Order: sequence, then C-alpha cells, then structure tokens
Amino acid sequence: MSSNDILDMYIYETNTLLEQLENIVLDAEKENTFSQDNVNEIFRIMHTIKGSSAMMEFDTLARVSHRIEDLFFIIRENTMEVVSEANRPALFDLMLHSVDYFREEMEKVEAEQPLNKDVDSFLSNINTLIAKIKGEDSPAEVPPPAAPAAAAPEPPAADVPPAPEPSGEGNPDFPYQLRVFFDDGCGMENLRAYMLVTSIQGFCAEADFLYEPAGVEQDASTAEQIIDNGFLLEFKNAEDREKAIPTVRTSGSVRSYQPHDYAPPPPPPPEPVEKEAPPPVKAASAPAANNTNNANNAQHQKESLISVNLSKLDALSAIVGEIVITESMVTSSPDLKGLHLDAFSKSARQLRKLTDELQDVSMSLRMIPVSNTFQKMNRIVRDMCKKLNKQVKLTLVGENTEVDKTIVDSIGDPIMHMVRNSMDHGIEENAEDRIAAGKNPVGEILLSAQDTGSEVIIQISDDGGGVDDEAVLAKAIRNGIASPDIEYSHKEILNFLMAPGFSTNQQVTEFSGRGVGMDVVKSGVESLGGTVTITSEKGQGMTTIMRIPLTMAIMDGMEVSVGDSIFTIPINNVRSSLKVTKKDILHDSVNGEMVKLMDSYYPVIRAKDFYNLPSGADDVENGILMWLESGDISYCLFVDELLGEHQIVVKPLPSYVNNFDIKSYGITGCSILGDGSISVILDAKGLYAAAHIV
Amino acid sequence: MSAMKEDVLFQVESDNPAVVDEEVVESRKYLIFVVDNLRIGLDAEYVVEILNSYTVTYLPMMPDYIRGIFNMRGQIIPMMDVRLRLGKMPSDQQSLLVVLNYDNIQLGILVDAVELMLDIPNELIMPIPAQSTQKLVSGMCSLPDGSGTMLVLDCDQLMEHA
Repeated sequence: MSSNDILDMYIYETNTLLEQLENIVLDAEKENTFSQDNVNEIFRIMHTIKGSSAMMEFDTLARVSHRIEDLFFIIRENTMEVVSEANRPALFDLMLHSVDYFREEMEKVEAEQPLNKDVDSFLSNINTLIAKIKGEDSPAEVPPPAAPAAAAPEPPAADVPPAPEPSGEGNPDFPYQLRVFFDDGCGMENLRAYMLVTSIQGFCAEADFLYEPAGVEQDASTAEQIIDNGFLLEFKNAEDREKAIPTVRTSGSVRSYQPHDYAPPPPPPPEPVEKEAPPPVKAASAPAANNTNNANNAQHQKESLISVNLSKLDALSAIVGEIVITESMVTSSPDLKGLHLDAFSKSARQLRKLTDELQDVSMSLRMIPVSNTFQKMNRIVRDMCKKLNKQVKLTLVGENTEVDKTIVDSIGDPIMHMVRNSMDHGIEENAEDRIAAGKNPVGEILLSAQDTGSEVIIQISDDGGGVDDEAVLAKAIRNGIASPDIEYSHKEILNFLMAPGFSTNQQVTEFSGRGVGMDVVKSGVESLGGTVTITSEKGQGMTTIMRIPLTMAIMDGMEVSVGDSIFTIPINNVRSSLKVTKKDILHDSVNGEMVKLMDSYYPVIRAKDFYNLPSGADDVENGILMWLESGDISYCLFVDELLGEHQIVVKPLPSYVNNFDIKSYGITGCSILGDGSISVILDAKGLYAAAHIV
Repeated sequence: MSAMKEDVLFQVESDNPAVVDEEVVESRKYLIFVVDNLRIGLDAEYVVEILNSYTVTYLPMMPDYIRGIFNMRGQIIPMMDVRLRLGKMPSDQQSLLVVLNYDNIQLGILVDAVELMLDIPNELIMPIPAQSTQKLVSGMCSLPDGSGTMLVLDCDQLMEHA
C-alpha cells in the first residue's frame, strides 16, 4: 500500500463524511435544532476527521475539527437546549462554513497544493460561538472545553471510576486487558491510540472498557507513555476483548499486542498463544491501515459498500462486451450450420442466459442514484435564499433514479446552473409580488429525475415569473443573436436563452450570469448525447427538461442492409417495418417523398441516397421501409433488407473518424457482429436532422 | 543454473543501453513502402502491424480517401487509402494494410507494397525543397544502397483531417 493510496482513502473518506455532515446540517436547519443523534453523529464525524487529519499531518485541519468537536461536546452534554434560538442560525452557518472549508482543503490536498495555514480567524469564529453558547449557560454546568483536561474524552470522565494504576496492575472491575504497542517512531501514538478507542467504541459500550493512559486525545505527552509502556485497554467482559483483538490487529502501525487477565484464576484464552506472535501483525499492519479506515467507514454508514476504481469497472464492462460478442461468434459459428446438436444448443442457451445476467450485473455496477447530486442542490437553494432574501422550497422527486456514473458526474453542473438560474432570475424578488400574483409566498423549485428505460429525464421547474419574451427578444437583438426584422415564435425566443453568451439579468450576480449561461448547460447535456428544452409561460414559471440517453454499452438493435453495408438501428427507435408499393409513395413540393401511414403523412428518407452508398435498391418495391421514431420525430427510412434483431455492443467510432463530424449525419457508433464484420449504428434523430438541413 | 541465468540477464542489460543510445542519437528505423512507384518511409516506431487480409466496412459521409473502418481484434480502426490521399488514382491490385499508431491515434493505411525496414542515419534526411508542394512529406533522403530516393512520411499531416 503506497502512501498515495492511503492519501486517496483519506480524501475519499473525509469527503464522504463531509457529505454526510452537510446533509445532517441541512436537515437540522429545517427543524431548527440538532437531535441528540445528530449531535452524536457530528461529534463522531469531526472526531474521525480530526484523527485522520492528524495522522496525515494536516495540522490545520486537525485544529479546526478539534474546535468544532469541542463545540459539539458542549451541545452533546447539555443537549440542543444550550444553544438559544438566537444563536442557532449562527451555528448552522458555521457548520456549513466548515463543510466548505474542509472541502476546499480537501481539493488542495488532492491537487497537492499547500493548505491554507491561516485558520485563526476561522478558529476565532468557532471560539466566539462557543463563548456565546457558554455565556448563556449556567457556569457550573459545563466544564470549559478550552481546558484540555476538562474536554478530555468522555468515556473515563463520565460514569466510570478512572482507577487503573499506571503500573498496569489493572482494575478488578475490568479484568481483561489488552496491551498494544505501536511501531517504533510511527509518531502521534496518542492519536493512534485514540483512533483505536473510537473503533472499539463501535462495538463496546463506553462503560465497559477503560484505557490507560487516559486523555490520549488531548494530551500529546501521553505519546511517550504509550511508547514506553504500551497502550493498555481494559475490558469488563472477555467477549469485548475478543472482538477488540481483530480491530487492534488490523489497525495501522500496531507492532504487537498482548492480552492479559487481571485475576489469576481464569486460564489464558487459547487465542493469545497464536495471536501473540508479532510477525504476522507487523506484516499486516501497513495495508491494514486502509482496511480499518474502510471498515470503520462502512460500519458507521451501516452499508456494505466498497469503493472500486472506475477504470476497473470500465475494464470489466469491456470484457463483458467481448464475452457477449464471442458468445455469439461461438453459437452462430458457420461450422455448426446444418448440424443438429441438441446438447450443444441446450448448453448454448444456458450460456446465453448467464452472459445476459453477467451483462446486467456489470451494467448495474456503474449505476448510482442521482440523490447525491440532487442533495447538493439543497445547499445551493439554502445559501441563495439567505443571500437573495427569497423564500424558496426545493422539492426533490425521483432522487433514487439510478444512472450511469459518467452521466451523474456530468449532469451536476447543468443542474446546478439551472437551479441557480431559477433562484436568481426565476423566483420573484419579493414575496409581495408572489402574493399579488396569487401564488404561495414561498417559491418552489421542483427537481425531478425519471428513468424511462431509454433515457433519463431531468426536469427543473420553478413557479416564478417565467420568461418575459419581449425582454429576451430585446436582449437577443442587442446581442446580435436575433434580427429585429424577423418575427420570432415563443419557442424560438426561448431558444435564444440557450444561445452562447446570453444572460437576461441586467447585472452579473454572484450566482448566475458569469458571462456563461444556458449555452453551457446545453452543450454539457449535448455532449452526453442529450437534449435540453425550455418551456415557460409568463407569470407561471419556467421548466427545463434535460433528456439524456442512458449509456447503452450493450443494446438491442435492428440490423438492416443497404447494398453491402449493414446498419444497426436501436430497437427503441423502430416503430415498425413495412413493405409499400410505388403508388403509396407521394411526392412533395421539394422533391421529397412521403408515405401515408395511419392517416398521417411521414417523410421518407432513402438511406442509399442520403449516405451516397455505392450499392442498394432504388425501387421501393425491392426494399423495406423502417418506420422510425425518436422523441417527436417520426419518419420512414428506406433500406434494402431487414436482417433481424440482435444484441450489440456499442463501440465508439475512432476519434480520427469523429473529427469529420460524422455524428451530425446520424452515425453514432459501430458494433462488431458475430462474424467479425462491423455494423454502423444509426441515430434516428440525428439522421433526420441531417437530412432536413441538407 | 540460476547463477548462469542471472549472468546472461546482466549481460543483456548492460548491452542494451549502448545499442539504444546509438540508434536514438544517430539513426532511426524506417519502414519503406511503395505507393504509386513512390518510395515512402514511415518511422518504424509508429508501425503496429502489417496486414494482408482485412475486411473494410464502408463508412458514409467520409472523404473518398477514407475507405471505411476495419476490425483489428476488437479495435475499430479507420482505413485510409494513401493513393487517394495523395490525389492519385486508386489501384485495382490488392493492397497491403499498414496499421500505425501515432499520438495514440490508430490508423490503417493502404499501400501497394512494403519493401523493407532500414536504419537511416538522421543526418542523411534532407528537408524537402521549400517550393515543393508535395503532400504528406516532411523530408527525403537517398537510400544508402543507391537504389533511389525515399520520402519521409509526415504523420502529423497524415492525421490531419482536411
């Protein structure tokens, strides 16, 4: 395990904790109080951050988290009552502030930049708040947290008589001892010891064990004591010690440990004999540091999660893709033609079933819920409410919708932008305006996600003032995007919003309109192959809908041939296929062709002509019409022959080829067929768009 | 036994750097191929492999010199006809496909024939005449055996998309 891996783990873990913290604070803010559970949780989070930051030698982080921990120590001891109503907003602000602070610092750690050394003003903020809270407190009640001894870790101070003598003789009430020695020169033995204590607290009640020296958390001088005498843990029950042994063994930098029993009579348990052997402990110590962290993390979150490098998942899906291809190569091998192989077909069917399952599983590995991205918006709405002095409620719908990781990563910014836009430009400045318009004085922003099977639909809507067509048009004309001589439809005007460099707000504000605008949202979504549409009615708010196709690394496609070329059309786009005769084909005024189906007319695009293919049928009666649909587009594609439905693995086109902008002609990728030949995947929508521009 | 092996290994190791040094400093290996009676040298570093059997899949809407794409062990690679890229007539004969990897872009180029691999000292390569409007060529040199002139293929230009 290289130090880098430990660092990665530290960053990952801390970020996870920060996310948890932020959610707790945001939820608590709505209730305007921290429940005792929340306080304990925050205490624990700060504690873990402090411990691991100190271990990674990020002193400033450790100091800040330490102060926050002190703060929550007071709250924990006295419940939320201790914080008066007046001080609560400050407390919530401070907590969110500190989340931001830690996030920033984490980014620096990640980028290997030096950390912000100057945390004094931040610390003094915390101190002021602590002072305020304490000021309202009856002086006798709380020990001053600033004094290290008094703020010392709760377990010994609380309800257990702190008795054990330094000699290690032990305490008759806590007869089961465990003496832990750390690696020579590993540094910060006291904090390492404290980490051990925290992880033991995970399964052992605080009243059921003691440790010696006490005060390891605050008092750095205990480190020497630990180096000399080891760190002594004393348990009330033998089982707890048994449980603690694996924890100790897997902790970082543990050189050795020895169980002792205080009372002479009980015979030494059998385990110590084998477990006393230091070598395996030592060998395991370095990699284990990581595992323990991980295990702790998982334990706290009560989820059985592991983190896996994304590149491994990519490699897995690539291999699964190859397996799917190979499977069809084997089962449809030309060598098998004409043979009746019952047993083979049976096994082949079984294989097919298993590869299908494998594929589903490997796809699902990459799927994560959008909830994290959505939750982040809570924070944005909250901050902006304060800054802009608006009252807005954010409603999340369908946050458990699972989407491919790459999509989740890239929709974050567009969503954030839209939410900011709604907050800034959408919701009315004054509650009076809303009341006058007959709306609830509290504005609402609705963020929803929906999985339709072929695409994810993300919708952001607000019930604000809506888009003022005239203002938008005037601005568009000023910016030279629109021409004053042309009359634009409502829809066209809305599209100006997404033109590059467009911002309707007069001033550039802190939150939106930094010269970049909706065009960024649009291009971001389009880079995922999706579309953005805006609908708005003046006075009724605005709705933005992003439709993003799910990454279908493997999909069902309909294979068709045109001359020698084979094309694949995603099955989702195929409505039906039909044979027509010459007289069904109608001609329109611009040399286009149409066909009447179910009482409507649909344009016909001939694949051969459109793509200038060297061969293929010209006579309508020698080919077949594929009736394709995508969104609100519906048309017929004329091809030679329908080859059948296949499951294909989508491969991107080589980047060299993509440079020729082939995507805009409706060619999105390709796939390797069972016989090793290549089929080109068509995008029904792109093809239609290209055909109607040309 | 094992000691012997180690000896051999060490020998190889100590031999190698010297060889590499010489090559890097003074000469480069070129793969010489023929296109329409022109001898063109391609830096062997970029050559992945040479195929004589392949199936091309036509890709619409591409320039004529892109014949399409082909499948090399699961990788999809575009195929360029160098004759057409140079503005010459297509050949009716079966061409060889040289697969190259330049700047992490893979490309197959169709050539008439592949002649040989040759070490050419860097100093022998001359710049092309300034007034020349040759395409895709970054330099030229006379072959050491006196059999003619070799044009050095400019991979940057080759990869450029017009």
